[in-house]
Amino acid sequence: MVNLVRAELRKLLGLPTAWVGLVLGTLVAPVVVLLNAPYTRRAIAAGTLTDTSDLGLRDLGIGLIGPMVLGVIVVSSEYTSTGRDAPGARQLTATLAAVPHRLRLLAAKTIALVLVVAAQAAVTTAATLTLTQALHGEHVPVPAPARVAAAILYWTLTALLAYAITLITRNGIVPLTLLIINSSVVSVSYLLTKVTDLASYLPDIVGAQMFIRESDFPVEVPPVTAGLVMTAWIAALLAVGAVLFQRRDA
Amino acid sequence: MITIDRVSKTKSGTRILHDVTFEARPGRVTGFLGPNGAGKTSTLRILLGLDRPQGGTALICGRPYRTLDRPLTTVGALLDGSGAHRARTARAHLRWVAASNGLPDSRADEVLETVGLTGDARKRAGRFSLGMSRRLGLATALLGDPEVLVLDEPVNGLDPAGIRWMRGFLRDSAVQGRTVLLSSHLMGELAETVDDVVVIDKGRVVTHGRLADITGGHRTLEDAFFALTATEAGGPW
Amino acid sequence: MNTVRAELRKLLTLPSLRRTALLTWAATVLLTYAYASAEASGEKLGDAALAPLGYTQAGFLVLGLLAATSEYQEGDQIRATLLAMPRRLPLQAAKALALAALTLPVATATAATSTLPAGEAARIPAAAAYLTLTTLLAAAVATVVRRAVPATIALLGLYFIAGPLLRAGSPASAPYLPDTAALDPSHGAAATIAWTFSALTLAALTFRRRDA
Repeated sequence: MVNLVRAELRKLLGLPTAWVGLVLGTLVAPVVVLLNAPYTRRAIAAGTLTDTSDLGLRDLGIGLIGPMVLGVIVVSSEYTSTGRDAPGARQLTATLAAVPHRLRLLAAKTIALVLVVAAQAAVTTAATLTLTQALHGEHVPVPAPARVAAAILYWTLTALLAYAITLITRNGIVPLTLLIINSSVVSVSYLLTKVTDLASYLPDIVGAQMFIRESDFPVEVPPVTAGLVMTAWIAALLAVGAVLFQRRDA
Repeated sequence: MITIDRVSKTKSGTRILHDVTFEARPGRVTGFLGPNGAGKTSTLRILLGLDRPQGGTALICGRPYRTLDRPLTTVGALLDGSGAHRARTARAHLRWVAASNGLPDSRADEVLETVGLTGDARKRAGRFSLGMSRRLGLATALLGDPEVLVLDEPVNGLDPAGIRWMRGFLRDSAVQGRTVLLSSHLMGELAETVDDVVVIDKGRVVTHGRLADITGGHRTLEDAFFALTATEAGGPW
Repeated sequence: MNTVRAELRKLLTLPSLRRTALLTWAATVLLTYAYASAEASGEKLGDAALAPLGYTQAGFLVLGLLAATSEYQEGDQIRATLLAMPRRLPLQAAKALALAALTLPVATATAATSTLPAGEAARIPAAAAYLTLTTLLAAAVATVVRRAVPATIALLGLYFIAGPLLRAGSPASAPYLPDTAALDPSHGAAATIAWTFSALTLAALTFRRRDA
């Protein structure tokens, strides 16, 4: 299994698009904190930010495009057509020839993905929070380690969400479109919470409550429960994806 | 008539074609012969207006491909693959190509019949086997009933019956007065099909002339080929 | 012209385009309902006539990029296209024309879906024009990039992450961004038009010079 994971890591890190996700996801949040600094200072002074402990952690959201791209590309790269002579063939054919046991392959891919995005999460969280402290330290308390860990978990689960959807749809455009639209300033999920309270249990909404204090959601969910609900969503989608992957033609 | 005159091409800083010059005449099958990577496909792509040369000209009936009006009525090209999008049916693919050159839709069904794909007309191109893809590609090349045929490795992927059919088809085309240029790295079936031969190696034309002249003192075309393209290292690659 | 006919046929026989158009329209229906019910329960979330389009414009981006990248993925169709229609600038023009012709009805239907319930039918033409231009812009970008996933990241990233961020941080940038017109037509229209034409020109020039 260690060899499989190493192979999958190499495959992933050999994809140019994966590096786009890696670099963007790591740099965007700290850069935004830097650029927003004057605006944030004014907001703190004016007292419009009710819970300043959220500050650095909220800004991480903008970097989520990174794990989304990584989660998608791990799978979508297997479904790119390989040649002109036989456009029905895909990279997946070669992969399965090397590793015919599909669930082991998926496990290896999942582990490789988690390793990469968790590392990325740690780096960007450290950078973002350190910058936030450096710029606004007098007003913003250092977040508790549990909250930081929750943020890293959210980051990782987001990658797995993208990964699971791509497994199900076999195509990178659908998950990327859905997830990027949903990460815009007013996400679709947030919109739906205005329509029905049930939407508060959507994975990205409920997950945010793991580490964000000030939330405008109709249903307040305690952090641990939030984490469990989001994990349950991801697990369910991964299970569906795994079953489909196992049973479909390559 | 195809005229290739001192064509040069550089790709990613490397010169891949050096002053390639030769002709393909009507009524004859010209074989463009060379090892893999010699520059056959690159030359053909320049001839067909797909790539730009850094020097030289490649003309079909005296004109560059891009200036031809309704090019498919003059030139039919078969390159690797079928050129069809995998989600489109064979028939839909042929119909858009026909429309592009003002050809009637009935031509789509006619060429499908010529290559024996009528039964697979409504199948998506992504489901085609290698041989079927080649045949679809050939069907596309024949839509405009062109007087010039340019084929890159035409028997690649065909079964023995298909190869025999192709050979007969190419010879018939030449007899009918068409200009037929085909490229290959396989000697066997080439020897029985071509009238003229152009040998290319490492981007340079090594020799060209009639089949009999090229084979010359050697026992077979294959022997002649290896003699002409011997590498310094002497290894197969 | 033959070229436009051929390009129209190509677009009409690509199943993924039909599916995208349908899904986009369906999503607009859903979002319109969401905005309406939010307003009904007293919490107005935004301009209900145009806000749903702010999201479903993604569908139009995808439409453009699928149309363009279909030449480069799954079978290398661009070769067949260039062999049949070797003159590249007329080809690019025909592609844009065909795409616009087919997108406009879809855009109109989608725009109507969100504006009619809000009683603002007068905004349909501008919204439909905006959505169609967005599709053309996406097709142009995808022609330069050639691969679907990177094009998706670039376009959606610009429209849904970079754009809103820039507008929030520096309101003066709003009239220069292509997606401002989605929600604020009076300020963003010129930008959308300018961006689309620049992208189309860049794509045409790149396409003309490069190898197939």
